[in-house]
Amino acid sequence: MRKVLKIVPELCTGCALCELACSWVQVGAFDLKASVIKVHHFGEQLRFAPYTCLQCDEAWCMTACPTAAITIDPDTEAKVVLEQACLGCSLCGLACPYGTIFYHPGRQVAIKCDLCRGDPACARFCPTNAVQYVPGDSPQDWIGAWAEANNVAFLRMWADLERRAET
Amino acid sequence: MSRAQYVIVGAGPAGLNAVESIRAQDRQADIKLVSVEPAYARMALPYYLSGRIERAHLLTADPAYYDRHGVEPLVGQRAVSLDTGSRQLRLSDGQVLAYDKLLLAPGSSPTVPPIPGRELPGVHTFWTLDDADRVIQAAVSQPEALMVGAGFVGLIVLSAMLKAGWRLHVTEMLPQVLPRMLDRAAASLVSDWLRARGVQVHTETQVIAIQETPSGRKRVLMESGSQIEVDVVIVATGVRPNVDLAQAAGLQVESGILVNEYLQTSDRNVYAAGDAAQGPDRLGGPRAVHAIQPTATDHGRLAGANMAGQSVAYPGSLSMNILDVMGLHCVSIGRWDARGLESSTAADHSRALYRRLVWEEDRLVGAVLVGPSPDLALVNDIGMAKGMIQAQVHLGAWRRYIESNPWDLRRPFTAARVTELLLNEPAILGPSRPRIYRFRDLQVESEFRPTHSQLLRARPEALVPPIPAPPLR
Repeated sequence: MRKVLKIVPELCTGCALCELACSWVQVGAFDLKASVIKVHHFGEQLRFAPYTCLQCDEAWCMTACPTAAITIDPDTEAKVVLEQACLGCSLCGLACPYGTIFYHPGRQVAIKCDLCRGDPACARFCPTNAVQYVPGDSPQDWIGAWAEANNVAFLRMWADLERRAET
Repeated sequence: MSRAQYVIVGAGPAGLNAVESIRAQDRQADIKLVSVEPAYARMALPYYLSGRIERAHLLTADPAYYDRHGVEPLVGQRAVSLDTGSRQLRLSDGQVLAYDKLLLAPGSSPTVPPIPGRELPGVHTFWTLDDADRVIQAAVSQPEALMVGAGFVGLIVLSAMLKAGWRLHVTEMLPQVLPRMLDRAAASLVSDWLRARGVQVHTETQVIAIQETPSGRKRVLMESGSQIEVDVVIVATGVRPNVDLAQAAGLQVESGILVNEYLQTSDRNVYAAGDAAQGPDRLGGPRAVHAIQPTATDHGRLAGANMAGQSVAYPGSLSMNILDVMGLHCVSIGRWDARGLESSTAADHSRALYRRLVWEEDRLVGAVLVGPSPDLALVNDIGMAKGMIQAQVHLGAWRRYIESNPWDLRRPFTAARVTELLLNEPAILGPSRPRIYRFRDLQVESEFRPTHSQLLRARPEALVPPIPAPPLR
C-alpha cells in the first residue's frame, strides 16, 4: 500500500533533526539549507511544523519540466528528479505552488523529497514522531488547520502592535 | 469506422504533449507530426551553449519515441497552407494531409530589427538548435560577444556565455534590463550583478549598424556615438508568435491564434497551443499569449485530450518567468507590473534581495522576487508566492502582515491554508504519468543513496518506538 509522510505538528519540538538527516541524505553534510524538509518556526509561541513535498497527484513540477527529468518512483510513487536529465532551469521551483521543490546551487539541479526510496530519513530520525511514514492514500494539508488556529492570537497581537506603533 | 486522422504542426512541448494525450485515449488513431525542426527542448539550448549538457541531451523525441507513440514524423516539412473547409493541410514538399482534427503549435520566431550589417557572418539570433550550433562553432577561444537586447532570452543566453568564459557586452534600447519581466528597481539589481561579474551593460541605446573589420571582428556602432568591437553579435530583441498560416486560413488571430477554454480556434476542427496560441488567463484577464514552457505543455496535453473527444476546460495560464542570472534568481508572476494596482516593495541591496508584491484587495495577484539562489531558490518563497497567486486566496489580515514582513511568506502561506485550497482545485487533466521522453533509459535508482545508508548505519533503529499522537485540543 502507498505510504505518505504524515506530519503531526503538535508533536514537533523544532529540534531540526529531520532537517539535519535530510540534508545529509541530500548532500552528505549537515547543512540545513540543503534539506528538502523545512521546519516552520512560529517562534514566539514555541510552535513548529515540518513541511515537505506532499507528492501531489497532478504534479506541477512534472508538467513544467522541459526535459521530463521528474518521474515517478514505481515503488513509492514519489515524484523524483532524475539528476542526469535535469538542466537546473528552476522552472519546477516556480511551477510548484507549494514551494517544495528547490534548486541546489552547488549541484545545479532541482532537489525535492523523494521519500528516500521508501525509508525517509526525516521520519526515522524524528525523536517525537512528528514526522511519520505511514500508509495513506491522498496528499493532504497536514499543518494548515493547526497553523491557522495557532496564528489567530499571533495575528491579533501583531495587528495590535502595529496599531500602537502608528499612534 | 475509419481511424481518426490527427495532424499536429510543431514538435515543441505543445506538440509532443498533444501526441501523448491523443495516444493515451485513442490507440487506433493515425497521428502525423509536422515540424520544420527536429524535436528538442528550447529551454535547454543555453545549457548546451554553456557546455553543461551534451547536444544529445537536448533532443526530446527520436525514432524510438515516434515508434512507441505510433506517430508518423514529417520532420523538415513546413505547413504552407491550410484549407479548413476541406480539412486539408499542404506541406512544403507538396504533399497534402487530410485531417479530422488539426493542432497548430508552430511556436514563435525571433524578430530582428533592420540593422545594417545584420546579415554579416558572426551575427546570429539564438533561438533554434541551428542557431546554437552556429554560435558554438563561431566561438573562438574566449570570444568577446555583444548581446543586442536584454530580455529574458538575451540574459539567459548571456549567463550561459559567461559560464563558458566569454567576455560580454549587452545593449538594451529601453532604460532597464528585462523590461518585460522586472520592474525598474529589480532590474537595477540585475544590472549591478552583471557589472560586478564583468559584463558591460549599456541601456537606453540602440545599435545602428554592424560592420566587419579587416580582421573579421564586428564593429558595432551605437546611437550614442560609441563603438564596440566584438567577435560575435547575438540579436535577441524579442519573438513573435507564428500566426501566418492561421491568419491566411482565415482563423481568428489577434496577438496569437485565438483559442477558447478547450484550445479550439475559431474553426472547431482546428486547435492551437503553445507560444502561438492566445488563450484563457488564469487570473481572469483577457485572453493572452503566455509564451512559456508550462503553458505550452498544458495547452498541448489539453488540446490533445479535447481533440480525441474529451471535453476538458482549461482554467487558464498564469504568466510567470524564472531566470538565473549567474546565481541571481529573478522571478515575476501574474500581474507583476502592478498596472493600476496597489503594490508593496522591500529591498535589501547589500544582499541583492528585492520583492514587489501586487495586491487586489486581500488577494496576491502578482509578484517580483529577486535574490541570490541560496537565499531564494533554497527557501522557495518563489513557489509559495506562485501558490498564493494561483489559488487567489483571500488573505484577510495577512495582507497587512505580508506588507510589513515581505520576507516571511511561510507563515501566511500555512496559516491561510493555501495547501488545502490548492489540493481542492479541480485537476487540470488528471494524475501525472511519467513521461517517456528521450531519457527513457534513465530509471529511478532502486538503491538507497550512499548518504542514506551512512545514516542508517549510524543509527539502525528509529530513535524512539512509535508513540501515538495525542488527541487534538
